[in-house]
Amino acid sequence: MKNRLSLRVYNGTFRYRFPHFAGDTMSTRRRSTDPPGLSRRDFLETTAATVVVAAAAAPAIDGQALAGAPTLVQPDPAVPRSAIRVTLNGTARRLDVEDRWTLAELLRDHLGLTGTKIGCDRGECGACTVLMDGKPVYSCSQLAAWADGCSIETVEGVAKKDGLEALQRAFVAHDGPQCGFCTSGQLMSALALHRVNARPTVEDARAAMVGNLCRCGNYNRYVEATVGHSLSPSRDAAANPRSLGGGGQSASPVATASAALSLLHTVGHPTPKIDGVERVTGQATYTGDVKLPGMLYARVLRSPHAHARIRSIDVSKARAMPGVKAVLTRENCEVVWGAGAIAGGQQYNDDIKRITKQRRYAFNNPVRFVGDPVAAVAAVNRHVAEEALLQILVDYEVLPFVLEPEEALAPNAVKIWPEGNLALNVRNEAQPNVQTRGNVGNGLAAAERTFEDRFTTAFEHNAQMEPRVAVATWEGEKLTVYTPTGGIANCRHDIARDLGLPDDRVRVVCQYMGGNFGNKNQNQDADLIAAMLAKEAGAPVKLELSRKEDFIGMHGRWPTIQYYTVGTTSAGTLQAIQLRAYSGMGPYRKNTGNIGGIDLYQCPNIETVVTPVYTNKTVSGNLRGPEYPQGFYGIQSMMDDVASKLKMDPVEFILKNMTRLARNEVPYTNYTLEECIRRGAEIFEWKKRWRQDPGSGRGPVKRGAGVSFMAFRSELGRSSAVIRLDASGQYTVFVGVTDVGGGAKTTMALIAAEALGVPLSQVTVVWGDTDRCPYSVGESGSRTTIMTGDAVIEAARDLRKQIAEKGPPKGAEMLVASATPTPRVEGKVRSAFGAHFVEVEVDVELGRARVVKYVAVHDSGRIINPLAAASQIKGGAAMGIGMALHEDLRYDRQTGRPLTTGFYYDRIPTHRDVPDIEVVFIESDDGLGPYGAKSVGESGKALSPAAIANAVSNAIGRRMKDLPITRDRILGALA
Amino acid sequence: MKTFTNVNARDLRQAVARSADARQSGQAASFAGGGSDLLALMKERIVRPDVIVSLKPIKGLDQLTPGGGGITIGGLITLDALSRDARIHRQYAVLAEAAASVATPQIRNVGTLAGNLCQRPWCWYYRNGFPCLKAGGSQCFSVSGENQFHAIFGGGPSYIVHPSDTAPALVALDATFRIVGPSGEREVPAADFFVLPRQNAAAENVLANDELLASVHVPTAAGGMRSMYEKVLDREAWTHAVVSAAVVLRMDGQTCRDARVVLGGVAPIPWRLPEVERLLTGQRITEEVAARAGELAVAGARPLAKNGYKVPLTNALVRRTVLELARRA
Repeated sequence: MKNRLSLRVYNGTFRYRFPHFAGDTMSTRRRSTDPPGLSRRDFLETTAATVVVAAAAAPAIDGQALAGAPTLVQPDPAVPRSAIRVTLNGTARRLDVEDRWTLAELLRDHLGLTGTKIGCDRGECGACTVLMDGKPVYSCSQLAAWADGCSIETVEGVAKKDGLEALQRAFVAHDGPQCGFCTSGQLMSALALHRVNARPTVEDARAAMVGNLCRCGNYNRYVEATVGHSLSPSRDAAANPRSLGGGGQSASPVATASAALSLLHTVGHPTPKIDGVERVTGQATYTGDVKLPGMLYARVLRSPHAHARIRSIDVSKARAMPGVKAVLTRENCEVVWGAGAIAGGQQYNDDIKRITKQRRYAFNNPVRFVGDPVAAVAAVNRHVAEEALLQILVDYEVLPFVLEPEEALAPNAVKIWPEGNLALNVRNEAQPNVQTRGNVGNGLAAAERTFEDRFTTAFEHNAQMEPRVAVATWEGEKLTVYTPTGGIANCRHDIARDLGLPDDRVRVVCQYMGGNFGNKNQNQDADLIAAMLAKEAGAPVKLELSRKEDFIGMHGRWPTIQYYTVGTTSAGTLQAIQLRAYSGMGPYRKNTGNIGGIDLYQCPNIETVVTPVYTNKTVSGNLRGPEYPQGFYGIQSMMDDVASKLKMDPVEFILKNMTRLARNEVPYTNYTLEECIRRGAEIFEWKKRWRQDPGSGRGPVKRGAGVSFMAFRSELGRSSAVIRLDASGQYTVFVGVTDVGGGAKTTMALIAAEALGVPLSQVTVVWGDTDRCPYSVGESGSRTTIMTGDAVIEAARDLRKQIAEKGPPKGAEMLVASATPTPRVEGKVRSAFGAHFVEVEVDVELGRARVVKYVAVHDSGRIINPLAAASQIKGGAAMGIGMALHEDLRYDRQTGRPLTTGFYYDRIPTHRDVPDIEVVFIESDDGLGPYGAKSVGESGKALSPAAIANAVSNAIGRRMKDLPITRDRILGALA
Repeated sequence: MKTFTNVNARDLRQAVARSADARQSGQAASFAGGGSDLLALMKERIVRPDVIVSLKPIKGLDQLTPGGGGITIGGLITLDALSRDARIHRQYAVLAEAAASVATPQIRNVGTLAGNLCQRPWCWYYRNGFPCLKAGGSQCFSVSGENQFHAIFGGGPSYIVHPSDTAPALVALDATFRIVGPSGEREVPAADFFVLPRQNAAAENVLANDELLASVHVPTAAGGMRSMYEKVLDREAWTHAVVSAAVVLRMDGQTCRDARVVLGGVAPIPWRLPEVERLLTGQRITEEVAARAGELAVAGARPLAKNGYKVPLTNALVRRTVLELARRA
């Protein structure tokens, strides 16, 4: 029955679940604070705007279910086919499939069952997990033809007629899905477990789901949902009734510890995501699930060389292939990707993008890294598109290349740009990023003790579960791009600028996205290439990147080399910190290349000189806390070592030297760093777990403890919101969020309900569509809750005023309020605070390091949704485990080609790599932000690698100076 | 993937015939058991068959059959079924543990024993499409490249490590492999199934064109025999062995009467350690004996520039595994 339903959706037209409203009698007024691009006219126009998703491929199915489905592509008689019989979600089916289709491809492209996701297409991630004869399998790694005679169950078949399966309810209640892209796969694995083991242990659950990766790192939640209880102890629950559930249905307690905040009705109660049901039933529509009538499939040809000049490209054979509809190269597409290379790496500044000298095109010549786009093809299906790439003949003049930043600065190094390899700043000058305070030379000269060391960090890939994808379609002169972006407004503006269109001729839609983690608050080259191919072909185009392309063609955290010199008094008071560092940017400057962390310390004399350097590796960009995890690791390892050499407990050293004024001079709006550290040390039992004599554990398996701490920006700023009230009493909140996994839709609904004084059930959220939503600051920089949340509160305040003045709307009337506040903090710095405490176990004979205990204490102001906020911290910490211990995009030095592309070789953490991460919130109120909320999203990640590295050093008695701390490095340090 | 034809085989003879037919008509053919690894290689266009001969429809080749002085294991048994079988657990723990250690539930649910034994190398050069010896090229890129996970024994001219977990277990159990091909059947001892690169740099085993690994025969466990498989992974789950040890001991009270010690992850084939086996035979397995076993295990190691850590790692793993197994009741 369930299956029939989804097929009908596929066969007919499918309307995105937007609430519709009649505009005729809408009561609205345009205020000076109305966001640009959203007027009453827009409301009226969007009333008619629906998204049509229809069948586009040849019906693969026997007559009964899909009779009359539009056939746009005739089956190619040269492609072998097989007739198979399967039982699909309980229904017997006869299907005629191409031999080359994978089972995932059959389900997604030809049966419309898009709940099954493709994260890697190589059996390395588990997003495509379905049950075959009751057992979990990777549907990407089976041919459809091989399913003959089998029973197949997909996520769409899990819910019963009378509602969700118990496990689906548990997944929602425990906040299983963050971005939700891996959820179907996790659910199918957990379901198979439940059928043979109704009361699984935590280890049973981890073993069953270990083949399902979650880059949001929400492993704790999936395990909790599967075993039916929380992993962390519930702290202070009695002292703080808000953590006992309130409006939420979650069984997961979240420890909070504050008596200072007043209790609110809706905000502050653990609340499952308002779109949780969509995410656990396979109904959530991600960009890759969008299928438009007549849609073509595109593929990109990428450079196999680290550095080469293209002498010529011959596309004639590709163009002549049947089914090929468009071919682009630099010769017929000179579009500049403005966000792809920016002087100084300043992302949101059009003026700088305009003056940027070292431009990055959609297709580049010379090509400067393995993966640089050379050409793109759109064809009737992805197989033809792939074949066509092989027919493109490129004549390369291979050039010398350089991979490491320090080598790239050598006088005889090959110049990647005519100006040299030192990346240009915002004024197109080849200058490093410099920050000074006091006089570091004098400070070091006066210091009683000085210390020097070198730390390095590796290229870490974003590795979000959803590979990059874009769907573009032109209706006349209007372009619509479906793309996984965390910032629809910025993405639209970027696409419009790069294509020379006015903003209002571009619409960007993102209903669900499979993870963000950085550089998604702008456009991607895939958006531009898809749009240009669609224009050229005169048909909608879907451009999908493979997992490998996503690894090499996109970006990740810049690798760094950090040299520190630190001066202290003999009692351990900091006198001076000097940092000289190099960041490997790849060949284009997409972001700053900065290294953060020195400002965590109260120190009169500092000097940092960070040199961003071009190399012929994959482009570096922002990844969750762009400059912090690598910087915090470097400086906090350095200081941990200084403390150790001064025979000081690192916690005491931190309490003595940590920031009390921002940048040594500006007061914080409020300050709870000390409380975070003291509280964490107490819960973690620091004195018991930290070894005064590092490496002194007996036997080959040694334990050690590490700590890290932070102050993390929580600035206020401009964003917009619109709220509409209709006569039924339903409030609709229009916000330009897309919910990258942090639960922004739910957060906005909670804030709106609180501000409006209504139950959550009376609030609907409209998101993710530039034609329907006002400007949003975009989900990056951990600021959506604060900035868009403030806008929601202000719009709600206005709406309440209107209701008071005019009375509630009747009949077809509506009340609409909008707000674009630009709050500021004058003379103070607003910051979140936190401290992480980690215990590791290191087998010094096998070189195995494992995190065994983890306590994360955060003051992120008032927690709007304790359930989702704790998931964010857990996920950040989990991601940090990967960065600390495994992830490294390694290159072959002879060829300049990357080796660790994909989830397998890059060793993304699995269920078994992530222990329970206990999250404790200290909620303080500085009277700013929405109900006092501060930043959450990036902070868990920022702290994790530093604490883990310090714990490993404490366990084995050797300072670990390079990330990741791999087995060979542990054994090497001990040899 | 390149376009191809999927052919379903009803039985082994037909499978072999279909493969041979394809080849005679100038087409490349590949067998698919579980198929996961084949598809991954096809998607990267490292393997480009015109015909896939699917073994999935073959009935009965996924069974465990006692007889012939041991047990015969059909090549198409899934790794999951093998790892859960009570008889295998009881008599051949090393094999059950090795099968259970492979990849993930999803892969074990379709992956077959024969497929695990015949899988191609997981060297990152090979899998990333470098024109290396394993791909028919003329050099091994790991020698002067990134060789952290490469061979410390038996390398040259290729330095891959054999990726199978079940292979060291079956060598340690003195198993015999039954091969079916166009010209009939043959049997080879497990240890002779695998070949060093210096014998054949492009292949990892003796299978000729159109030949299949049909089944594996494991002799009856002698009295007092106990076994275990220890695997060091590169994260807490789901990697091939950095180093693994398959150890089989026949114990008589505290004394070892016979021993097999075979390593995975360190050589292009399952790497048997006869000197270590000789050392252990006739000995009480004390900490000191185990320590000598570990030292002896790595006596012939020839590490490359970046895999030297495997030497102390292998030493420790052999010592600890031998000792733990000997101490088991």
